Amino acid sequence: MQTFFFIAFPYIALILAIGVGLYRYFSHRFTYSSLSSQLLENRHLFWGSVSWHYGITLILVAHVLPWLFPRAAAAVLGDATRLFVLELTGLALGFYCVFGIIVLIARRLPNDSRARAVTSPMDWILLLVLAFQVLSGVGIALFERWGSAWYLSTAVPWLWSLVRLHPDASTVTGLPVFIQSHLISGFVVVLLFPFTRLVHIFAIPIEYLWRPYQVVIWNRDPRQPVSSTLTTSTTVSMPTPPAPNHLDRRRLLVRFSILAGSVSAAIVGIPSIAFLLGLRKAPEVWRGLGAADSFQIGQAVEVSFLDSSPLPWSGVTARTAAWLRRESPEQFIAFAINCTHLGCPVRWLPNADLFMCPCHGGVFYKDGTVASGPPPKALVTYPVRVRDGMVEILTSPLPITSV
Amino acid sequence: MDPVRILKQIWRWFDDLTGFSQSLGPIMAHPVPKARKTRWFYVFGSATLIAFLVQVVTGIALSSAYVTGSGQAYDSLCFITSSPIGRIIRGIHYFGASAMIILIGLHTIRVYLMGAYKYPRQMNWLTGAGLLLFTLLMAFTGQLLRWDQMGFWTAVVAAEQAGRAPLIGNWLGHFLLAGNTVGGATLSRFFAAHVFFLPALMFLFIAVHLYLVIFNGISEPPKAGRPVDPRTYRRWYHSLLEREGIPFWPQAAWRDVLFGSIVVLAIFVLALVVGPPELGKPPDPTIISASPRPDWYFMWYFALLSLIPKWSERWVIILGPLVFGLFLILVPLLGSRGERSPLRRPWSILIILSVVFVIAHYWVVGIRAPWSPRLDALPLPSSVVGVADGPIAAGARVFYDKGCEYCHTISGYGGIRGPDLSDAGDRMSAAQMATRIFSGGENMPSYRGNLKPEELASLLAFLASRHRVQLPTPPALQGLARQEAAHGR
Repeated sequence: MQTFFFIAFPYIALILAIGVGLYRYFSHRFTYSSLSSQLLENRHLFWGSVSWHYGITLILVAHVLPWLFPRAAAAVLGDATRLFVLELTGLALGFYCVFGIIVLIARRLPNDSRARAVTSPMDWILLLVLAFQVLSGVGIALFERWGSAWYLSTAVPWLWSLVRLHPDASTVTGLPVFIQSHLISGFVVVLLFPFTRLVHIFAIPIEYLWRPYQVVIWNRDPRQPVSSTLTTSTTVSMPTPPAPNHLDRRRLLVRFSILAGSVSAAIVGIPSIAFLLGLRKAPEVWRGLGAADSFQIGQAVEVSFLDSSPLPWSGVTARTAAWLRRESPEQFIAFAINCTHLGCPVRWLPNADLFMCPCHGGVFYKDGTVASGPPPKALVTYPVRVRDGMVEILTSPLPITSV
Repeated sequence: MDPVRILKQIWRWFDDLTGFSQSLGPIMAHPVPKARKTRWFYVFGSATLIAFLVQVVTGIALSSAYVTGSGQAYDSLCFITSSPIGRIIRGIHYFGASAMIILIGLHTIRVYLMGAYKYPRQMNWLTGAGLLLFTLLMAFTGQLLRWDQMGFWTAVVAAEQAGRAPLIGNWLGHFLLAGNTVGGATLSRFFAAHVFFLPALMFLFIAVHLYLVIFNGISEPPKAGRPVDPRTYRRWYHSLLEREGIPFWPQAAWRDVLFGSIVVLAIFVLALVVGPPELGKPPDPTIISASPRPDWYFMWYFALLSLIPKWSERWVIILGPLVFGLFLILVPLLGSRGERSPLRRPWSILIILSVVFVIAHYWVVGIRAPWSPRLDALPLPSSVVGVADGPIAAGARVFYDKGCEYCHTISGYGGIRGPDLSDAGDRMSAAQMATRIFSGGENMPSYRGNLKPEELASLLAFLASRHRVQLPTPPALQGLARQEAAHGR
């Protein structure tokens, strides 16, 4: 169950949000709006909407920033005073949001309210989920304190593991159910995204920030009631919505088929791709190479050892090689055999004190630095240590030169 | 009863139930334009398809005995090769791959030169470009599945090249290896790509490619002064078919069948006579005396990466393939109309000639690989050194011990990465030589601190003794030298 809620469900929510969101953007672009009802009812909306939007924007920033920069956040919150101030600010913003969402719900409640008439079932679902989300958030801030600090070691690693397609819910499965419900309902909001007016987040008219200003001059005093002659003369005939007919049914069936097909494809495809992408993370282990005294000082010799994660069918490929040289009685140095140019195996020329690569003639001095040829950087060294008279090497990934 | 009549009856029964002759018959016999002088140029595409089918059949046969395990693949290949028929199958698969590379190259060149990618066949070209890419990837992964020492190092070099991609390079490299190092999981990954993923994509693209060939019709031979105009082309093409079209099957297809059969026969004969590429040493990462080389079809790329300036390498490794892909995509998008004849498109001829010339040149250079040190060079024989002891003989030993000989030739012995030093004594003074030895160069290590004074002295004495006149003539060339002397040179 935890696997479903913390691994499968977030992916399903994200896929649907992106997939349906794109579909809606390209097929019904004009529905990318908040479907404002300001025209119908203004006063409650002002108090509800302004509190809600300012509060939730700042709270969202406070959720996203530490997720993006967990180390910086940890550094900032390491100080008790700063943590206290941040928690207090967050709690205040949370109450601000709760106030806002209550007003926003209340204005749609009365049977005779004009806002109620344009409220769809989806709007109610969205409002309830959002209300639950902010209430549970405030609850966490009150009863499970210092969330801004433990967030970094619980939800943040889990969210990053989702991003890395290497899902790992172990950091959140132990949390109280109350907190878990906040995490899950967060992804419910993501899921609802393309199906509701939430999409207006992507329709923010940011060009307002740089467009030339406009001066609005009223033709009449906006505080005066509108004269009846004006209303009658400007009655606009609203287009009546087309009655549900055969065409709508067909469109609905097509959409349903596309949606069902995408979900099925995602159910099969995502685990397959995740399996393909999942790198085997091998723990680094120390492997013995032999008694320290069996190595002559100053000579590089090839040593071979098992890599960090040999599989039963690896055969000879489970082995790895390195060039090991005893520098002094207690000091060893191990070089990767792979040339830093394209990975070919370099050879040690004992008389010339040089490593030479057979592929493109890269040459390295005995300390691993580049002597000549195309290699862009020095030979990679592996950690080596001496324990109880035995030389040990730390198994390391194949060095890959990247830009 | 007459067996022929029974067979005919079975066919009629089968055809009645499936309707193949009704549905597929007209497609087989669809009219194609008459290609008079150029009619034999139209066979490369179908021959590529035939080579692909050869690969599918022999590939399935090979996979029935190949073990996809990093530890066992090599032994299973030895087992396959030890059986006479298995050896032939491997040979067919190898030469089939070579044939497919050559044929898809010829097909691409033919289509490009004849401007057959222009309206309405842009999508034909784009699916073909996809197939070209997949074919190259198949060639690469196939070389790797021959899981000997070369195959092993191919995986490493692939990961290193992927590692040059910006930002994701390191992740991509380890993704290709399926782990931290080449190990148990690596081979399975390339096997899945070579046997399932890429072939599935190729079947899909071939289906679309063939559908498009039928839908848009085979391009008619280009004629100078007859440009393609998208507004009128289709109508004109159909009237051309009505006037002088011939049924594809069998009036045009017999050439495809004949050429394809010759290709198959050639593949088979080569597999019999030459045989599959020999398996190298086992894929043991600890056998470091390895000199990784790509198969012939990537030899030119190996040479290219070796010879471009060092600073440009990080760009070429990543941008080179991208630019090539972009070129293939842009060709039909930017040049979708206008003249098709190569006579009116001289640049196309020039581009093809330069590409072919560059690849051929780098291919020849790649076989010689002058940039690779010859780590198997042996010490100079006393016949070359000239003396048995003394400073010159000691210098010859230093010349070998310090690795000079791996890169420098003396009288035909040694590598060719650095300058030939057979007549160094004629060209340089001792001071000049000492300067070079101490300071090194772009492709030569500095030996400062590496040579004892007496070693340097004897090395300089040896190099100073290298003169043109002292060049001993190898026995094989002595006759030639006498002839030259007789002609008064």
